[in-house]
Amino acid sequence: MLGTYYYHEIIRKTIIAFGTLFNDLDIHHKDGSGNTNSVIKVPLAYGPAQKFLARLEQQANLDKPVQITLPRMSFEMTSIEYDASRKTGITQTFRAVDENTSKMKKVFMPVPYNIGFELSIFCKLNDDALQIVEQILPYFQPSFNLTIDLVDSIGEKRDVPVVLNSVAMQDDYEGDFSTRRALIYTLQFTAKTYLFGPVADNPEGLIRKVIVDMHADTNTATAKREVRYTAVPDPIDAEPGDDFGFTETWEYLDDSKEYSPTRQSDI
Amino acid sequence: MALNPFFLQGSSGEQNLVQELINEQLKIYGIEVLYIPRKFVRQQTILEEVQSSKFDDNFLLEAYVNNYDGYSGAGDIMTKFGVSVRDELSLVVSRERFEDFIAPFLEDEDDNEIIVADRPREGDLVYFPLGKRLFEVKFVEHEKPFYQLGKNYVYELQCELFEYEDEVFDTSIDEVDEVLDDKGYIIDLTLFSSGTRATASASIGSGCIRTITLNNDGSGYTSTPTVSITAAPAGGTNAQAVAITTTRNNITSIEEIRLVNAGTGYTVAPTITITGGGGTGAAATCGINTNVKGVFKVAVTDGGAGYSTAPSVSFTLPGISPQLPASAVANVSAAGTISSIHITDSGAGFFATPPTVTIGAASTTGIGTYWFNEVVTGSRSGATARVKRWDTDTNILRVGIASGGFYPGEIITGAKSGAAYQIKVSAANTVTDKYRENEEFEVQADRILDFTESNPFGTY
Repeated sequence: MLGTYYYHEIIRKTIIAFGTLFNDLDIHHKDGSGNTNSVIKVPLAYGPAQKFLARLEQQANLDKPVQITLPRMSFEMTSIEYDASRKTGITQTFRAVDENTSKMKKVFMPVPYNIGFELSIFCKLNDDALQIVEQILPYFQPSFNLTIDLVDSIGEKRDVPVVLNSVAMQDDYEGDFSTRRALIYTLQFTAKTYLFGPVADNPEGLIRKVIVDMHADTNTATAKREVRYTAVPDPIDAEPGDDFGFTETWEYLDDSKEYSPTRQSDI
Repeated sequence: MALNPFFLQGSSGEQNLVQELINEQLKIYGIEVLYIPRKFVRQQTILEEVQSSKFDDNFLLEAYVNNYDGYSGAGDIMTKFGVSVRDELSLVVSRERFEDFIAPFLEDEDDNEIIVADRPREGDLVYFPLGKRLFEVKFVEHEKPFYQLGKNYVYELQCELFEYEDEVFDTSIDEVDEVLDDKGYIIDLTLFSSGTRATASASIGSGCIRTITLNNDGSGYTSTPTVSITAAPAGGTNAQAVAITTTRNNITSIEEIRLVNAGTGYTVAPTITITGGGGTGAAATCGINTNVKGVFKVAVTDGGAGYSTAPSVSFTLPGISPQLPASAVANVSAAGTISSIHITDSGAGFFATPPTVTIGAASTTGIGTYWFNEVVTGSRSGATARVKRWDTDTNILRVGIASGGFYPGEIITGAKSGAAYQIKVSAANTVTDKYRENEEFEVQADRILDFTESNPFGTY
C-alpha cells in the first residue's frame, strides 16, 4: 500500500537550513593593548558521521600533533515528532505546476512534524563560548523563521520556524587536575517543518476549457440536449498562478448529438 | 621523641649524591624533549582566562617517559566534535636540571608574560619528538617519590595532548612550528605573480573611424548590446566596436563605445547600429579619417602579468599634420594580464611608421619571499596574520591567526622578509580542516533557502 517511491529530502533540507544559520560566526581575540589579534571563524559540522570516514578524513596522519582544534560547533537531529497543533485536513490536496516540466502536479497537504536539534558549542575559553552564544540568542524570540523550498518539483516554499527551547552550559572545572576543564554549551531547538507525501502527476493536466451540455431530462439517450455552457480562462494562456477571469458562452442547441472529448467535436 | 642524633636523615652531601644519580639516570634512560613555556599575551580578569598565548621559547630537557606500554588516557575517540585524541603522557624531569637551566631564563622574562618561573608550570607544553606531538602539562607532581633523604629530586609532569586554538608558535624549531602548519583557522591568499609590463603593436591605415560619438546612451539594458558598423568598401577592413554599459540609479545605459578595429578604406562615415541587450534608445555616429592615416588596430604582443587595474596606454605622436594623437584603453583579464586593447581615438597624421605603444607598468609589487611564521600586514585592511606556508609555484600564501579579513587588490607585506605581493583572491581554506562544513552548508542552503532580505547571521 505504501509502495510509491518518493524522497523529497525534506528532513535533510531542514538540517541544511538549520546548519546554515550558524556557519558564519566569528570569535575575536585581543592582545595586551586591546587590539584584535585573531579572528576565528567557528567551524561547524553535523556531528554524527561514519566512524571510518571521520577517522580517515580528520586523522589521515595518525600522529595527530594535537588533541583537537577549538572552538568547534556541532549539531545533530535529536527527535522527529508529530505536531498535532498544526494538523490540516488529511484529504485536502493542492495542485502546482512543475517548473521544470510544466506539468500539473497534485499533492496532499503536508503532515506537520517537529524536528528537534541540538547545537553544541565546544570552546577552550568561556569568553569564546559567550561570544558565540551572544551572537545567536538575540535572533530567537523565541523563534526564527526560515523559508525553505521543501519540495523542488512543486516549488513549495514553507516558513519553518526554528524555536530555541533551552540553553544549557556545562563547565566542569572542579576536581583534580588529571581531568581537563570541559566547556560545552548546548542549545536545544525545534524546527517546525512539514513532510510531504508523494507528488503525483495530475492526469487531467491543466483544465483550460469546460463544456457542459444540458439536457431536459436525465435520460440523455432520449432527451435532446438543449443548452451548452462553455467556460475558458481569459486570457486563454493563463497559468494557475496568474490573475485571470473566465469567458462564458451559452449556446442553444436542439439536437441528439453528444460531444466527443477525444475527437473534440459533436458526433 | 626526637630523632636519633647518631644518624643523618639526609645530609646535603647525600641529597646531592642522590640528585646526581637521578640526573645521570635520566640522561641515560630518558629521551630529549622540548620544554616550551607559555607566555601570556592577554589575561582576562573576571572570567579568569588567558585569552591569547604565545610559545616562542624552547628548552631541550631530558625526561624519563613514565608510560611503559604506550600513552595513557582514553586514546582516539569519536566525539560529536569529530575525532579527538585523548593521549596522555607522564614525564619525569630532574628538579635540579630545571631549576638550574630553565628557571633562570624564565625569571628574566616579562612578569606579565611568565607569572611563575621557578618550577615547571601547568599550561606549558612539551614537544614529544617520538610521536611528533605537543603535550600540555596538566599537573606537576613534586612530591613523588616522597621526601627521600629529606628532599624531593624530580618533577613528574602529567601531560595531555594540547588543544590548539590560535596560540602563536614561533619556537624557532621548525619541526615544532610546522606540526601546526595546517591546524586552526587557515586563510589561503592567492597572490599576483611578479608583475611584468605588457607590450603591444599598432597598425595604421587611412579611411578608418576616428572616434565614435554616443548621441544617446539608451536605457533599460540587461546585458551588453551588440554594436554593428556597416561594412567597408571593397579592399577595406570592416570596423568592429563594443559597447561598455554602466548602471546608475538602477538604470543600465551605454557608457561608451570603443573600437576593437577602426577599419580601413571607408570613404564615407559608416552607420552604427546598436541592438539587443534588452534596452532601447541608444544611438551613435562616427567620423572618419579620409586622407590621413590613423591607428586602426592595436594587437597585444605580450599580455604581461600582475595587472589588477587597467593601466594607461599611450602612443607616440603622429609625424605629419594634423598630428592628432591616438588614444586607447587596455582590458585586464581575471588572470591579471592585458587581454586586449580598444581604441577610443584612432588619431590622425601618421605617415609610414606605426606609432610605438606604451602600456603602463603592472601595479603589483610582487617581490621577495615570505618567511615562515613572520607577520604579514594588509595595506588597506590593516589585518595581520602569520605565514604558515608560501608556495612560489602557485603564488598561494597560507596564513593563520589572522586579525581580520584581507581584501583582494591590497598589498600584503611581510614584516621580516619585506616581501610584498598583491592579493588576487582571499579565501578561507576548506582543505586543511576536514571537520568544518561551513562552506558546504552555505552552498547547499543557497539552493533551498529563500532569504527575502538577507541572512541575518551572515553569508559565509
